[in-house]
Amino acid sequence: MHIPDGLMDPMVAGLGWVEFAAVAAVAIYLSGKKVRDKDLPRIAVLCAGIFVAQMLNFPVGGGTTGHLIGGALLAIMVGPVVAIVGMTVILLIQALMFGDGGLTAFGLNAVNMAVIAPLMGWGVYSMLKPLLSRGEAPSGKAFTPGEAFAIGAGAWASVFVAACACAAELAVSHAISDGAYGIAATVSVPAMLGYHAVIGIGEAIITVGVAAYVLTVSPGMFEAGAARPRASPGLRGVLSSRVAQATVAIIIAFALALPLYFIYSSEGADGLEKTMEDAAVSEGEPLLTSPFSYGETYFAALFAGMLGFVAVALAGLGLMKALRAGKTAE
Amino acid sequence: MIVAHVRGHHTRPEEIDEHARASWLGGLDARAKIAGTVAFVVATALLTRTELVLASLMLSVSFAAVSRVPYRHLMRMYLGALPFILIASVSVFMFAGFWRGMDMWARTSSCVIALLVLASGTETFELFSGLRGLKVPRLVSTLLTLTYRYILILGDELGRMRTARRARGFRGGRSLLDSRGLRVISSTAGMVFVRAAGRAENGYEALRARGFRSDMRPMRTSRLKAADLAFMAWFACVSSLLVALQLGAVP
Amino acid sequence: MKALEVRALSFAYEDGTPALKGVDLEMEEGEKVAVIGPNGAGKSTLLHLVAGFRAPFQGSVKVMGKPLDERSADDVRRHIGLLFQDPDDQIFMPTVEEDVGFGPLNLGLDSVEERVSRALRSVSVEDLAKRKPHRLSHGMKKRVAIAGVLAMEPDLLLLDEPTAGLDPRSRSGLIGLLRDMRRTMLIATHDLEAAGEVADRVVLLNGSVAFDGPLSGLMRRDDLLDAAGLEPPQVSRLFRRLRGMGYGAQTVPVTLDQGVAEAVKLMEREKGRSGDRGR
Repeated sequence: MHIPDGLMDPMVAGLGWVEFAAVAAVAIYLSGKKVRDKDLPRIAVLCAGIFVAQMLNFPVGGGTTGHLIGGALLAIMVGPVVAIVGMTVILLIQALMFGDGGLTAFGLNAVNMAVIAPLMGWGVYSMLKPLLSRGEAPSGKAFTPGEAFAIGAGAWASVFVAACACAAELAVSHAISDGAYGIAATVSVPAMLGYHAVIGIGEAIITVGVAAYVLTVSPGMFEAGAARPRASPGLRGVLSSRVAQATVAIIIAFALALPLYFIYSSEGADGLEKTMEDAAVSEGEPLLTSPFSYGETYFAALFAGMLGFVAVALAGLGLMKALRAGKTAE
Repeated sequence: MIVAHVRGHHTRPEEIDEHARASWLGGLDARAKIAGTVAFVVATALLTRTELVLASLMLSVSFAAVSRVPYRHLMRMYLGALPFILIASVSVFMFAGFWRGMDMWARTSSCVIALLVLASGTETFELFSGLRGLKVPRLVSTLLTLTYRYILILGDELGRMRTARRARGFRGGRSLLDSRGLRVISSTAGMVFVRAAGRAENGYEALRARGFRSDMRPMRTSRLKAADLAFMAWFACVSSLLVALQLGAVP
Repeated sequence: MKALEVRALSFAYEDGTPALKGVDLEMEEGEKVAVIGPNGAGKSTLLHLVAGFRAPFQGSVKVMGKPLDERSADDVRRHIGLLFQDPDDQIFMPTVEEDVGFGPLNLGLDSVEERVSRALRSVSVEDLAKRKPHRLSHGMKKRVAIAGVLAMEPDLLLLDEPTAGLDPRSRSGLIGLLRDMRRTMLIATHDLEAAGEVADRVVLLNGSVAFDGPLSGLMRRDDLLDAAGLEPPQVSRLFRRLRGMGYGAQTVPVTLDQGVAEAVKLMEREKGRSGDRGR
């Protein structure tokens, strides 16, 4: 998902930089307070590991291959804030050493892979874990099946939502620049989402596998490992504040998409109409024409839908938590 | 040493710095190189007129040619970046016609090539120390140096484990569906992590024992020479000209 | 001012196991001291602690008169050169000369290039200056690592198992190098022969100090040698056996030179005796 220079509309790329700078500043500040000098080697080794892992291909059938992003894995091991800094370092090394990912596009790449991916990964994992995993892990395994699912779901969500963001950036770039930049929504959305829905599965499997191994062999590397809560009533307080943090993380990840929408709505209406005309002219599958019947509300629907879904899901989960807490208190 | 698959293509990290030494580009100050290349890339990203985009592409390619970075190496790296470029170009082509598609391809390629020349023509440590001039925070520059160092160590460990595995007859790990192979790979990956972590502690102490605090200092004095200024001036002129033409300031 | 003053030093690992108990150690400038003992005796730990990498500890440590604590660690480290057991942990720059220059550059020392060439010359690797370190042999890597430390011109050199893993030629080369070098050094090793050749005195460490004096003195203490599981140098073993057979020497030699001297004395004595008998 490393976007090269020249692909995105400059305004979108600029927005990416602004968002990244803001988030990174906060993340660096918070990490600076939390990370001690002696933690640095451990964190750097994890980053190095993820860097190396990112370079390995795994085939996903049909002759295509996929890559690990690793945002979820890193966030689960060192926490979301440090993971943001770590993923940024990894992306920097890739851009400077290999020219992988552009400079003007670095802001967007970082927002997608260094901010959204770890936040979503950690957020989903932290929310699902207390719900799904009860009691001790079966002997010989690193975690309960529930926790493994939470990790896998977090990993999948990290990849998928990052891909959503990327698709949205491409689509908006295309719309507001009259087709000079970006990739049209009708191509970018299905392509990115479809491909990464499958890739996400690979990421989930690998993330769970590596996390299991590291936790078994050397739990000290796991921030989560150190703080793994037993199912005991006294810790309910801790758990719910974790959930609150996770909620915040997920909301931030989605909130980053909002400015994109504002750009689009202020600049893009004309662009989209033009694209509609072009689409009608070129031969394409029926898929190309139907979404356009919603016209300019397409994007609105997309964004509103995402936010709405998330809000409802979070509210629902929060409610369930509260109910369960209330029940066990009796 | 690790053989890294960059988007499916092979590059060895040591090789990268080798090319830097081979090219005259390696002799320039890192900050000048970064500044010049960034100016060029930013300018190019703003271009949408076909003639300008093609001009930029020609400049980029001639930059690559003049830099004497090995052609094959550049091609390999470029091919790695190709998928995204192609998808974008083809989709633009589908929606907006041939020339627009060309524009997209030329513009992204021009940027990618310039960036690749910068990356290949500069030693990694120099790049990091060049970043220091941009006031990168201490946490980030320390992590950068350490992570890069450990990437090399991990590469060693990975190579050794792979050899050890093969010596015991393991040949799997090609597909996601090979579950036993997958478990072996996870174990290898995990093991590499854990062993590298041990060396990491030592490595960090060794750095601190020699006075390392948070960043690298280059061997040569960091004063800009005439060549650096010339490099920056050239790219500054070219970039501003391109942008001016794009914005219509100059007919 | 002493080069190193350690008083009542105690230190335990993170999991609580005690590593050092009540260690006392003093070194004058120019002295070469070897810390010997079995594996796990805390020799490495002592070195790393003196270099400011292990905290917190009880007792006091002063390097060149400067007290060591968490805050002063970086400052004290400027006087110290720590050589790691594994040169791969230490060497990492792309060329030998860049790696040797790493220390001086970080410390902000002047005339770095001069220092680098001097350091390279002192360990006889000047011709390797532009080479890539990871292609060198283990022995060469050790020398490069030493050069890297020497270039910082430390007041106190701390060497962790310098002869480990070297082939016999490289090992004797390194021993000669260390012996001829005029620097204050503290060497952690279980190579007793090297200790005998290089060091003025030895400290037997097994959690605490069991012996502090010349190595030849330690050779008389079978109890300590057994308790520490130490094997005396070959020369010493030879002469102990000879003594057992009735050919006693004044002191038990620990180096080859001493052994030769003692052997000549022995032979002269025997010649004299048989000469008497012959008359």
